[in-house]
Amino acid sequence: MRLETFKPSHSSIKRETSKFLVKADEQPMNLLKWARIKSPWILHFNTGGCNGCDIELLAAFTPRFDVERFGILLQGSPRHADILAVTGPVTLQVRERLVRIYEQMPEPKYVLAVGSCACSGAPFKDCYNVVGGVDKVLPVDVYVPGCPPKPEAIIDGIVKLIQKIEGEEAYEKGR
Amino acid sequence: MRREDKIVAEIRERLKEKIITVEVPRERRIFAYIKLEALKESIKFLKDMGFKHLSTITGVDMEDGIELIYHLALDGSIELSLRLKVQKDDPRVPTITDIIPGAVLYEREVHDMFGVNFEGHPDLSPLILPEKWPRNIYPLRKKYALERLRNLIFKEEDIE
Amino acid sequence: MSYGSTIKVPFGPQHPALKEPEHFLFKIDGDIIVNVKPRIGYNHRGIEKAFERRTYIQNIYLAERICGICSDAHTTCYVQAIEDLLGVEAPPRARYIRVIVAELERIHSHSLWLGIAAHEIGFDTLFMHLWRDREAVMDILELISGNRVHYAMNTIGGVRRDIVSETIPKVIGSLDFLEKRTKYYMKVLRSEPTVLKRTVDIGVLKPEDAVELCAVGPTLRASGVKNDVRRDDPYAAYDEIPFNIVTDDGCDVFSRILVRCGEILESINMIRYALDHMPSGMLRVRVPMVVKPGEAVSRVEAPRGELIHYVKSNGSTRPERYKVRSPTLANIPALCKMLIGQHVADIPIILAGIDPCFACMDRLVFVDVKTNKKKALDFESFRKIVRKRHELL
Repeated sequence: MRLETFKPSHSSIKRETSKFLVKADEQPMNLLKWARIKSPWILHFNTGGCNGCDIELLAAFTPRFDVERFGILLQGSPRHADILAVTGPVTLQVRERLVRIYEQMPEPKYVLAVGSCACSGAPFKDCYNVVGGVDKVLPVDVYVPGCPPKPEAIIDGIVKLIQKIEGEEAYEKGR
Repeated sequence: MRREDKIVAEIRERLKEKIITVEVPRERRIFAYIKLEALKESIKFLKDMGFKHLSTITGVDMEDGIELIYHLALDGSIELSLRLKVQKDDPRVPTITDIIPGAVLYEREVHDMFGVNFEGHPDLSPLILPEKWPRNIYPLRKKYALERLRNLIFKEEDIE
Repeated sequence: MSYGSTIKVPFGPQHPALKEPEHFLFKIDGDIIVNVKPRIGYNHRGIEKAFERRTYIQNIYLAERICGICSDAHTTCYVQAIEDLLGVEAPPRARYIRVIVAELERIHSHSLWLGIAAHEIGFDTLFMHLWRDREAVMDILELISGNRVHYAMNTIGGVRRDIVSETIPKVIGSLDFLEKRTKYYMKVLRSEPTVLKRTVDIGVLKPEDAVELCAVGPTLRASGVKNDVRRDDPYAAYDEIPFNIVTDDGCDVFSRILVRCGEILESINMIRYALDHMPSGMLRVRVPMVVKPGEAVSRVEAPRGELIHYVKSNGSTRPERYKVRSPTLANIPALCKMLIGQHVADIPIILAGIDPCFACMDRLVFVDVKTNKKKALDFESFRKIVRKRHELL
């Protein structure tokens, strides 16, 4: 499909996407990259948290907040996901699995640390079975603090991550 | 006469010298301290009395041994804590899974955390601790202070 | 029908939508489960050891973070144990507030679970509807406590916040809405063929097995055993508030759905009664920092069943030993019993049926013991197989 002929039907999407589509003096943007920014797929993994963040993350996908209308989708398989949303402190037993799941994800991949535990380990920091925050194991792109963060905060975190991906895009273009 | 007192009287009568102390700190709570060899016998007759529900098994690291507390409930109401003490090195206690099958996970948990061997238990493989957890380190024993435990675990892991 | 060879199916530990990572190893013969081996502990953080390091006040916050869904049950259980040691009792108003928050939490937890159960049987419309209505109770909790998940209402000797009279009409309004919706969902669940086909006679747990394996909570009550800590071992103000224990004789997953729906309605009535009859007065009594040596056992009926905490104090500001047994652990032996003899396709809903604090079933790896061939399936394709099977029925 030629990119010039690609016309999203929804008017608001059209307005927003226009900057990624054709501009006379620029290379048109890769469709894959465009899709990644417009519709990031999220894989949720609990690494040993208390469930609080998990239900709030899930609440963000249900009708009250409904991020699916923005194309953000919760995905079941790591092989289909762009963003790994991690909740909870990383326990010893789950650490290897976390790394394995991260490795299964296709490049480019991003990590979202949801909740204070995922950010730093919080109250479980010095427990004997806890490695610490997610950044002890994986490179984290965006931290969402809070115990637990409200769905709004999680959505904000996802938006920040999308902005980051967009920024990378712009950086690559500038090179 | 309160229900608790009736139960206490019955326990005293059945176990006689095998019992060390029995107390009722408040209504619906009984703490009984028995000798190790009386465990199976007392669980059996308590079950016949109606204490069918085992809430959990607690281990406590005392200075002179490990205390095991079996929390049993009578019709969900009166909570009887049956306490006994085992020695610290090579602690052994008979399993009660043949009397109360619901004890199977609680015994594995205590085995993980305190290293108590439940003789006759079908499967004492690790339940809660990670596969790579070093053997002979039991995290809830008092001699492993938290810092020491972290040092022991994370030295091999090369983290921090 | 036997296929002659058993196949091992590991289940977990990563999963798509919710909750914690856990792992189950199933031995299957053809399509029938022969044996189950649970492996928990992916979430083991060492909280019991951490309890020994912190003061009694700090531990309230730690107890809250044992579980995010039944956080109030854990703090209630914790503060009750400490109050028992100290020999103090929370003032009457505080005890009523504890009941109200606990029952609100039960509504939130049960409707969350109903949504998950609907999701597991492929009924996502119901899942979304239930979660939309669940926001009503989350709003009440936020209104009362200032937080949606960790309410931080309990403290040793009472509660930290009052339920002021201005909020009561709002709470009542939301409760009316929830009652209407829950009744509607009960009607839907009772008549919807999708639900009936997937849940009736699935995961049967006979009453005698339930008692023998020490099951607790709605799992036990759905097997027809009338057992509830709120009635049997009353705490807070439960001895002053009238309520019925909801039971069902079906012993299957459908009964577990009905019991939880019934409990939502019962909780709504209890909150109404408690708001009406709430006495005025103090919210908390002052308590000393140092707790005299002793021990106490505290029990609470959490949304998932009997929760028991044991505390041993040594006369300092920190506990000597703290033990927590959550209801999910108590239900796992019963869960293993339910699963044996069932079809692989019904694993998700049976697992979800006990309302575990984990429901991990994303990726399945089928290992054929004979050829040692591994076949990985993600959850979606697994669910497709499941749906296909049920279309054929």
